[in-house]
Amino acid sequence: MTNIRVTDHWRVIKQTEYLNAVSGRLDKIQEQLSTGRQIQRASDDPAGARLALQYRDTIDFEAQMRRNLDNGTAFMNITESTLDSSTEALQRLRELTVQAANSTLAQEERDGIAKEVDQLIQHLAQLGNATFGDAYIFSGHKTTTPAFQVTGNPPTAVTFQGDTGQRLHRISRQDTVAVNVDGQNTFGSMFTDLIALRDNLNAGAPPTTIQASIGTIDSALDRVILARAGVGARLNRFEASQATSQQTDINLQQLRSTIEDVDLPSAITKLQGQQNALQAALGAIGRTANLTLMDFMR
Amino acid sequence: MGLSIGLDTAVKALRAHQLAVDVASHNIANAQSPGFSRQRVLLRPVGLDGSDHFTRDALLGRAGFGVNAKDVNRIRDVFLDFQARQSMGAKSQFGATSAALSQAELIFNDPSDDGMSKLLAKFWAGWQDVVNDPESAAARTTIVQATQTLTSRLQRARSELTTQRDDLNSQVNAIGDRINAAASELAAVNFQIKQVELSGDMANDLRDRRDVLLDELSAIGQVSYAEQGDKTVTVYLGNHELVTGNTVRTVQSVADSNNTGMNKLIFAIDGADVTTTSGELRGVLNARDRDIPGLIGKLDTLAAGLIGSVNSLHVVGYGTDNPPSTGLVFFTGKDASDIALNQALATNPQAIAAASGPNLPGDGSNALAIANLQLAPNMIGGFAAANLVPGEQIAPGLLTGLLAGAGSISSISGSYTGGQAGSWAITDDGLGNLSAVFTPTGGAPQAPVLATVVAGGTDVTLVPGLTLQIGPLLSAGTQTIDVAPAGSPVVATGITLGPTLTPGAYFITANGPNGLDLRFGSATGPVVGTATLGSLGTGAGVISFMSGLNTVATITVNNPNATPYSAAQQQADLTVAGNNTLQVEKAPEPYYADIVSILGADVAGAKGLADSSELMTSHLDGLRQSVSGVNLDEEMTNLNASQHAYNAAARVITTIDDMLDTLINRTGVTR
Repeated sequence: MTNIRVTDHWRVIKQTEYLNAVSGRLDKIQEQLSTGRQIQRASDDPAGARLALQYRDTIDFEAQMRRNLDNGTAFMNITESTLDSSTEALQRLRELTVQAANSTLAQEERDGIAKEVDQLIQHLAQLGNATFGDAYIFSGHKTTTPAFQVTGNPPTAVTFQGDTGQRLHRISRQDTVAVNVDGQNTFGSMFTDLIALRDNLNAGAPPTTIQASIGTIDSALDRVILARAGVGARLNRFEASQATSQQTDINLQQLRSTIEDVDLPSAITKLQGQQNALQAALGAIGRTANLTLMDFMR
Repeated sequence: MGLSIGLDTAVKALRAHQLAVDVASHNIANAQSPGFSRQRVLLRPVGLDGSDHFTRDALLGRAGFGVNAKDVNRIRDVFLDFQARQSMGAKSQFGATSAALSQAELIFNDPSDDGMSKLLAKFWAGWQDVVNDPESAAARTTIVQATQTLTSRLQRARSELTTQRDDLNSQVNAIGDRINAAASELAAVNFQIKQVELSGDMANDLRDRRDVLLDELSAIGQVSYAEQGDKTVTVYLGNHELVTGNTVRTVQSVADSNNTGMNKLIFAIDGADVTTTSGELRGVLNARDRDIPGLIGKLDTLAAGLIGSVNSLHVVGYGTDNPPSTGLVFFTGKDASDIALNQALATNPQAIAAASGPNLPGDGSNALAIANLQLAPNMIGGFAAANLVPGEQIAPGLLTGLLAGAGSISSISGSYTGGQAGSWAITDDGLGNLSAVFTPTGGAPQAPVLATVVAGGTDVTLVPGLTLQIGPLLSAGTQTIDVAPAGSPVVATGITLGPTLTPGAYFITANGPNGLDLRFGSATGPVVGTATLGSLGTGAGVISFMSGLNTVATITVNNPNATPYSAAQQQADLTVAGNNTLQVEKAPEPYYADIVSILGADVAGAKGLADSSELMTSHLDGLRQSVSGVNLDEEMTNLNASQHAYNAAARVITTIDDMLDTLINRTGVTR
């Protein structure tokens, strides 16, 4: 059809259609600008929405990993400082034992040392019962039970009441890491040896017997220092994982934003364009609507 | 021939041009009436014999007898009508579908900061917090709240979709009413047109009305029509007559026995179903019976996956309460319609089974196992979360209490340790708890073994060692199945499943002599792909299931034998029980993301089709308007022309009057 016949009714319909189309596009851009998002609904960009959901999932997951890392770090910080204090106590015990093994020492002086040993045993038991929130950190899975029970005063026995349960935290998609240390393995046997040492001191045992205790204290010290090193290593790993997770978060936020968020300069340019189009459409309608043959006939 | 004939001719002209003015006035009055076709007076010269059929001879040297306004015709192109009505059907079909789907899209409201994906993420995060602090009452309260928010959102989405489906059903009823109203009016108009045109007149405005009604019906359903000799139009809806002459075959809405809770339209006279391949009715039915139920099904699969997998782990764990709770399900319900947090846990969060053993308040390992489900590739569509793989052995009692009533046993076979002869007695308490007792020949029955049937249609096979083996299930892409019963076995080394497959069980069935069908859900379920088999040589070969041009699944096989692996043997091997099932499983987040993005693509697709058919309709409407519409300038011109013609005819009368005056008053013998 070369020359289409335009009728008045059709002109009205088309003009309404043009205006609706232009204001529809204008509305879409305004919605994008006011929400700051170019994907309002999945149908705006189904493939983009799929990616955006995937990024959001990963972002949420990484945020939780950082929460897990924070929680584990706090737990291990307490463990670390407790083990530091234990190391100091054991070093003091070693000094005292070396002193007591000196054959020239009088019994009163040994009695004094025994008293201090006694205090240190109780101090160590107290350290073994350190808590994180409501949880006894050295009790394994039995965290509502104190790890060590002290019998008698002065103590005649210190018994381990926990278990070897591991407190696992997920720190990444692939890894779960135990944040606690085994209380029995770290402290357990030292108490029996220390109580024996104190009793020997009180009973005036020969220096060679006291001397033998230095070895046991040394091995206890080794175990505590080893545990402390293990915690330190895990803390370093947690710190590194934090940094990795944060970096991942930044990258994913950027990717998510590229897909979901509106590109302001381009949206504003488009807005301007649509406004011009609307103005032009209105102007054209205004000019042609009044044009009829009747104006030219008498 | 005398002067009076000239007067007669002039009077005819006056009448004709007055009619033309009337018609122009009618056109101008209806310039904005929808469906109106402009009308024209058909002016014809009147011949000597008084008819408008005159020969050259008869006219030779003589004037005619003036003009005759023979008819008032409407200007219309029936072929354009036909094309326009076809595209109207498409436009309203896709319009209806896209409207329904857009509404469904709002229910999911994703990607966003408060959509369902966020609630899922919070649910898993809640479990991680319990893992971090199993002793903490606060962490347990958080998971209770996160779960309740998630379940109520799932339930709400499900009920909104159901409500939407009911609304669409009401639309079907309303469409039935509209069909009846239009058809009844059309029959009445048919009758009037017949009456008017029988007497030789043109029923122009009635015809316009009839065209409007045909437009309306074409937008509703697939309509075909034909004008009969008596000027009535016979209309068919689908393949059934709707209007013949002035008779209407009304439609009515009745409960559809094949579609619970839904109605269908039938013809009242013979009960035949109303069928249509286009129009609003088709669009509404597609949304009601295909798209919305599909979404409901996916939501149910998601919920059932959560229920099954979390419960299977939760029942074996222990709470921190005293005495320690165990054997509790985490979720109650079966799908998205009724998924809810177990009320016992809501009132007593200490009973949440974070620990793997009793009296271990610091043990979050069971909670960790549940949190790990987020990363499990096979949670949705898998059978519980036990990561079942072919041949996996599950300790008796491990799954006790799981998925009550979720399935039944289809077959049981097996032998007891050491190959002892004897018999099995299997009882199912109807709650999914299976007791298996073995009685050796001549011996006392062995202690009962408790186990759980995990899903319908899956064989539970008892194997030596009193353990249960859950059927030949395959995870995507990784499993090895033995596909040859004897000799050097041909081994399937890899299975790749296309991303379009919905999680669930797929069955391989024979299709003709050299083909295989991949069916969803059961051995009689819908076919999602077909494989055309050919003989495979030594070494690696691939069997592909295709749907159109898309590959939906491939099985890679390795044939170690020197002889080719024949098509017949492939068909026999792959359809034998034990080799004929594929299990497609998915992690929860990607599954949910698929729901949203596939729905989004469907909405975008439907909108695109609606837009393009809208464009087509608009274009054709333009053409129709171009032919039939009123142009005021044109009418003004016609009016002007008619006015001039009228004036001229009047002048003719004056002239003849003058001539008669001359003849009568100024000539003659009396002068």
